[in-house]
Amino acid sequence: MIEDDIYRTSSQYRLWSYTEPSLQSLRATTNAVASERVRAALRRSREAHQSTATSEAGTPLPESNTEVKNRDEKDVECLTPEEELVLVRYYCEKTLELGETYKPPLPTMVRATAIQYLRRFYLTNSPMTYHPKSIMACALFVATKTDNYYISLRQFADGIPGDTTTEDVIAPEFLLMQGLRFTFDVRHPFRGLEGGVMELQAIAQGQGQPAPHLPHETAEDLQQGLLSIAPPPVPSSSMSDRIARAHGTTRELLKSAAQMTDAYFLYTPSQIWFSAFLLADRPLAEFLLDVKLGGPVTATIPAPETDENGLVNPLYEIRSKLHHVLTECSALLQSYTPLSSDPAQMKNLKRIAKKLYHCQNPEKVNLAAAQKRESTQPSTAVQSDAGVVTSESETERLAKKRKLEQEQKVRQEDDVFGPELVTQRTKQ
Amino acid sequence: MALSPFGSRSPSMTVHSPNTAIRLRATAAQKSFTEPASAAVSRPVQNGDRELTEQLNIDVRERYVKDKKVGEGTYAVVYVGHLRHDPSSLVAIKKIKVNAEYKDGLAMDAVREVKYLQELKHPNVIALHDVFSSKDQNLSLVLEFLPGGDLEMLIKDSDIHYGVADIKAWMGMLARGVWWCHENFVLHRDIKPNNLLIASDGEVKLADFGLARSFADPLFNMTHQVITRWYRPPELLYGARQYSGAVDIWSMGMVFAELLLRVPFVAGNTDLDQTSKICEAFGTPTEENWPGVSKLPYYIATDKAHLVPLQGRDFFMRQFPTAGPVGADLLMSMCALDPRKRSTAVQCLRHNWWTIEPRPTRNEDLPRKSGGTKKMGDDLTRRGGELDEGMFKSAARQLDFGMK
Repeated sequence: MIEDDIYRTSSQYRLWSYTEPSLQSLRATTNAVASERVRAALRRSREAHQSTATSEAGTPLPESNTEVKNRDEKDVECLTPEEELVLVRYYCEKTLELGETYKPPLPTMVRATAIQYLRRFYLTNSPMTYHPKSIMACALFVATKTDNYYISLRQFADGIPGDTTTEDVIAPEFLLMQGLRFTFDVRHPFRGLEGGVMELQAIAQGQGQPAPHLPHETAEDLQQGLLSIAPPPVPSSSMSDRIARAHGTTRELLKSAAQMTDAYFLYTPSQIWFSAFLLADRPLAEFLLDVKLGGPVTATIPAPETDENGLVNPLYEIRSKLHHVLTECSALLQSYTPLSSDPAQMKNLKRIAKKLYHCQNPEKVNLAAAQKRESTQPSTAVQSDAGVVTSESETERLAKKRKLEQEQKVRQEDDVFGPELVTQRTKQ
Repeated sequence: MALSPFGSRSPSMTVHSPNTAIRLRATAAQKSFTEPASAAVSRPVQNGDRELTEQLNIDVRERYVKDKKVGEGTYAVVYVGHLRHDPSSLVAIKKIKVNAEYKDGLAMDAVREVKYLQELKHPNVIALHDVFSSKDQNLSLVLEFLPGGDLEMLIKDSDIHYGVADIKAWMGMLARGVWWCHENFVLHRDIKPNNLLIASDGEVKLADFGLARSFADPLFNMTHQVITRWYRPPELLYGARQYSGAVDIWSMGMVFAELLLRVPFVAGNTDLDQTSKICEAFGTPTEENWPGVSKLPYYIATDKAHLVPLQGRDFFMRQFPTAGPVGADLLMSMCALDPRKRSTAVQCLRHNWWTIEPRPTRNEDLPRKSGGTKKMGDDLTRRGGELDEGMFKSAARQLDFGMK
């Protein structure tokens, strides 16, 4: 059994790994469903307003009413999947910043987990339905719980700049966990990087271990090999300094670019750290690949490498395949520039935010208030005769729905526009 | 043939493949989009307002039917249920109770249990088939149905007779389960006989991951307040904040010893008592036999007159004659005081005790006991690391008996 097989049993592989087209189509579907819902919800709220206005004005004019309705419906312009993605990315950057405000700052791993939670959540949920602003803090809090850095909710909420309450933080927890399909484990590339760096340092100190398929290599061979690689992108005083520098650059890439792009959905943790390492110090990364898989592979070498006995490197195929994957992943990581440091992207973001203001699903805006309504309501769990899970919860759901509508009615009565007249809607 | 680390596949119900889940997600999306008023599963009321994830959750929930309650604790209620489309496929449904005192959302034990069971798919780890929530936001875990009770039940029942071949089979399954956890960088941190449940086919399953956590990065502190006292290794009793899979191996050794003796081997009444009992039994930890031990926070130096020398192989052979010399050697390697000298899970599995005579008993021939469903219900409702008072009381009686 090799590491790959173990990785394939992880929820990250089973539920959260995609090809580029499947990722795109999933996002398109989510966007389409949410857009449809948003339009319907806006229509409902408009109808509510119209009927209120109508009853105030006395006799309505049916034709003009229809006209208004038609015009309004055209006006609801929903976000595109690309715009949703920009918005989510922005809040992922914000999550990183939020983690930084705590004293001491939340560990990198916790913040990275929170970001991946957000990204996973928004594969099946749209920012039009749930604003990332309201999910972000919760994702970070849940990550402190799942990544062994639990701090109390009160302490956590106090650490958030502004007047965020504990209720605001915790309200979407269940929603978030449901969106995560109750899988909390995120496999990060950080640990693999540490291992690779330790291995390189050992080689540099003449304590390297040969790969199992290259038993003839000695620690000295490895050390010599490492010392004879091409110079680094930035000059360094010693090999150990060079490794440390590459380590730092790679870690920064893993904390930023790897988090903000689709890297986790498309590549494995080891592919991600290796790709980042290639960007940090290509000759060093390729040396490590050679140690692991033998034979350098570059675009200029047409034939498979042969070893001293004239044999083809048995891992040549894996190596070439990997080369291809790593190149792609490196390009993805390199494509990332932080939104906040790019005026053009910021301008685009502002436009999207403005657009979102008009296509936000009005029925999902205040999650904390909705939760409060639910929790103050006495439990209505009804055990059906059959003991069937569904009917129990359905009854509950209906009871809650009625209650909500009742409460809404009560609230509307204080409204200057008078009570809501849409109770008919439920009768339809 | 040596025991394969994977053992035999349990014939319990099939787990829904990951691809199904992804497909399901896509189809559910498609469905609710194109025809909001109809759905694949018939239900009394169809609501077009449901979000995609809510719909998926309902789909999962509707896959199961609860039959009867088999256990209730402060932390959870356990039901026996079955797949709706197949009444013969039994499952245990563990519904986590919402604790009104705890305002921080889903409780940590539940978070840990769900997190790790979602990752650990192995014949010797209890299978988590599904997770769903009811509308009142209670979490339900659909677990593998394990009607064979647990190892504690078999150890304590004087009507049950078992031999070293049976112990070898049980320990082999335990070792493979622990190996799989460690291979996935997970520490169980609560291994004891009543967390080792038994399937209808006799397979032993590691359960209760309420105290589990991933291996920490070097220098990151962890709590030492884990593992039920009698199974707790000396480094945790001394307050070590950085430790490894060796803590689980010690617990495994204690289970091994208990299976052989049919009473807990070192059963202290307090943490301090536990430490002194360990010293009496295995020897006093010193800088000589355990470099660095004196720097642990709760280490208490013993004066020279009371030093117990480190026990050697002959002690284990004398104390555990049923294990045979090779079995005693394996046990000794699990009970090394210095965690660095303790065997790892892989080293345990490579020990030659597994391959010498007698061969481990086949699952179908293992001793078993009825009434296991109730026991499973009790085991699954216990909070992680919760001290089972009843167990301690009865075990204390047994101890007295053992000392007569």
